Amino acid sequence: MIRSSNPLAQEPRYELIARVLRDNIHSGTLPDGFVLLEGPIAAVMQTSRMPVQTALRQLLDEGLVHRFDGRGYLVGRGGNGIVPLRRDIRDFDLTIPPLVDDALQTRNTWRHVYDEVEEEVASCQIFGEFRIVETELAEHLGVSRTVVRDVLARLQERGLIRKSPTSHWIAGPLTARTVREKFELRGIIEPAALRLAAPHIRYAEVEAFLDRIGHDPTITPEELGDALLEHCIAQAPNTALVEMIRSNRLLLSAVDRALIRLGLPRDEDTIEQYQTLFDLISRHPIDSACEYLRDHLSITARRYLARMKIVAVIPKAGAFAPYLSPQ
Amino acid sequence: MYITADQTQHAAPPTVKRRRLRVLGTSITLLPPVRERARADLGFDIDFTELNFLDCQRQAAMEPQGYDVYEQCFHNLDIVWFWGALQPIEIARIREWDNISDLVKLGGVSKYAGRGRGDAPVKKLYIQPGGFLGSKPSRHVSMLPTVHNMDSFGYDARVFGAGLDARPSWGWLLDRRAKGRIALVDEPAIGFFDAALAAEASGELEFADIGNMTIDEISALMKLLERKRVEGFFCGTWRGGDEAAMLVEQGSVAVQSMWSPVYGKLRGAGSHFIEAAPVEGYRAWHGGASLSYHLQGAELDMAYEYLNWWLSGFAGAVMARQGYYISNPSRARDYLSAEEWAYWYDGAPAARDLAGPDGDIVVPAGSRRAGGPYTDRARRIVIWNTVMDEYNYAARAWDRFVRRVTEGVEA
Repeated sequence: MIRSSNPLAQEPRYELIARVLRDNIHSGTLPDGFVLLEGPIAAVMQTSRMPVQTALRQLLDEGLVHRFDGRGYLVGRGGNGIVPLRRDIRDFDLTIPPLVDDALQTRNTWRHVYDEVEEEVASCQIFGEFRIVETELAEHLGVSRTVVRDVLARLQERGLIRKSPTSHWIAGPLTARTVREKFELRGIIEPAALRLAAPHIRYAEVEAFLDRIGHDPTITPEELGDALLEHCIAQAPNTALVEMIRSNRLLLSAVDRALIRLGLPRDEDTIEQYQTLFDLISRHPIDSACEYLRDHLSITARRYLARMKIVAVIPKAGAFAPYLSPQ
Repeated sequence: MYITADQTQHAAPPTVKRRRLRVLGTSITLLPPVRERARADLGFDIDFTELNFLDCQRQAAMEPQGYDVYEQCFHNLDIVWFWGALQPIEIARIREWDNISDLVKLGGVSKYAGRGRGDAPVKKLYIQPGGFLGSKPSRHVSMLPTVHNMDSFGYDARVFGAGLDARPSWGWLLDRRAKGRIALVDEPAIGFFDAALAAEASGELEFADIGNMTIDEISALMKLLERKRVEGFFCGTWRGGDEAAMLVEQGSVAVQSMWSPVYGKLRGAGSHFIEAAPVEGYRAWHGGASLSYHLQGAELDMAYEYLNWWLSGFAGAVMARQGYYISNPSRARDYLSAEEWAYWYDGAPAARDLAGPDGDIVVPAGSRRAGGPYTDRARRIVIWNTVMDEYNYAARAWDRFVRRVTEGVEA
């Protein structure tokens, strides 16, 4: 995934716009009776009119603005004697917090929508082959075709989609062969990375997780898998190797999450294996942990292949994003 | 789906709540005579929920609280077992364990018999370290082996010839002589292999391991089936025995997948529609009963009683009368007449008319079971019903094929 440092980067654009308008109404920068028009607000926020429309409807629901006999909305709850104040919003020197401004600026890049699309495109593949319809994706995300093409390019680069001979974007199907190959690759590169990482492993974190496994009944195999990656394997001083590991895991993790959403119960055997693995990492020579990791991965692969089979008996209608068209 | 609640009167006083066991399964084993007798012998109520193969698996995996005992087949056990819905069965608590045949414990009726490809029950039988299923004996099993059979196809003797000269081959399911009059059973772990056997037997395709086909092999098979479909070879598919019988009675099929009890349902067509003993061998399956993960204490005891009852003879005899074998035949023999045993297990000519599970005559006197005695048939298993590694891929492709057959799409 592409994690943005800005916590607001994943927020819908209309939320950001509503936030700015709301703050400026509360602070009095925008006075009662001021006429809010979509066009000028869109210009200030550097967006299209659509999200502005949604933001204004939201403020209407909140009672911060009201309708009147004219175009746009009036600031305030309304009532007698309020004279519409028609001025250019740019004259009011709106306060736009830097984080919001930054988030609005990155709206037009592919990064803020990428994670969501990646998860949907990866996890659908267990259900078969899908065509991604570019126009539908643009509409679904409320972004331009240019942004969509950037997103698709990134998905292709990460091996999640491909072009068909007829130039359609295709995702999946995830086959047992692909899963076996990915696990085989994991069995080769992850123990190797763990060995390289040994001097850099965050041992305190590993100890903390070991402690939690003993006491916290809510701990999940996914959490432990992520911890193993972040605190141990990804500490290997070889960025190309770590990037390869992350990339190779992408599809497997997304499908795992899809199965959990279907109701796959918590798996105690796997949690026990992580416990053994973390114990070996923190208290024994790294070679034994590497050997164990190899075994753990081959066992996980077998379990994974068996669990995937349930998908064939699940009706899947309506479960996919609108831009994914089953083939 | 329908739920057949126990309708019989309570024997206990109304103030005492009758104990109740909930069984989820398919039409293979959930027969009324079995439930009535079990109820009388065991002294508790038994609810049957009968579903088709796929719905049954889904419900078993995702709603294990909804049943106590799950009666299904070994080949699709992966789906339910690895979803954590079942609990191990302790062999020590199964009284008839030592009498269960080597077909399931070793994979063949004798040390020298062929093993068959795909999901032989022994490969899913014993619980291995880490919660896996495998053939290495341990103290626990995933499913108590009960009913099984060797399936083939049925054919019209007027089209393919009768008697020993006929030498039925799976290739007949793609044979030009039956063009337009061929039907397959619509189940991706079953009908798929009828088609795969037909493709190999007719020389059209060859699979490295028919029991675990690759994506390319699956695609090649589906391409072949699609070609044959467009040429007009198939007239339909079926999901249940009644549908299969109807296709035969209507004269729609000259050759099709068949299940043993369907032959007993045939009336007019029974004289010319014949069960094949294919030269290549049989496609077999093995059923059984498993315990839901939630069972414990008295409920678990009750489920074990039911499992033990299944192997005590009566159920085995009912199964025999619809052409299915039980994993411990010696006990079923106690509940079968000499003539019944001779026909169903020994492959001898029927000394008199024989009745099926519901009392109707299903075998006329003088007829003989195709393929001969049990051990001869069991020695000739070439493939088991199987949920392959690429099952999702195969099942989706199969569904598309079946839809096209049903809807009659041009190309």
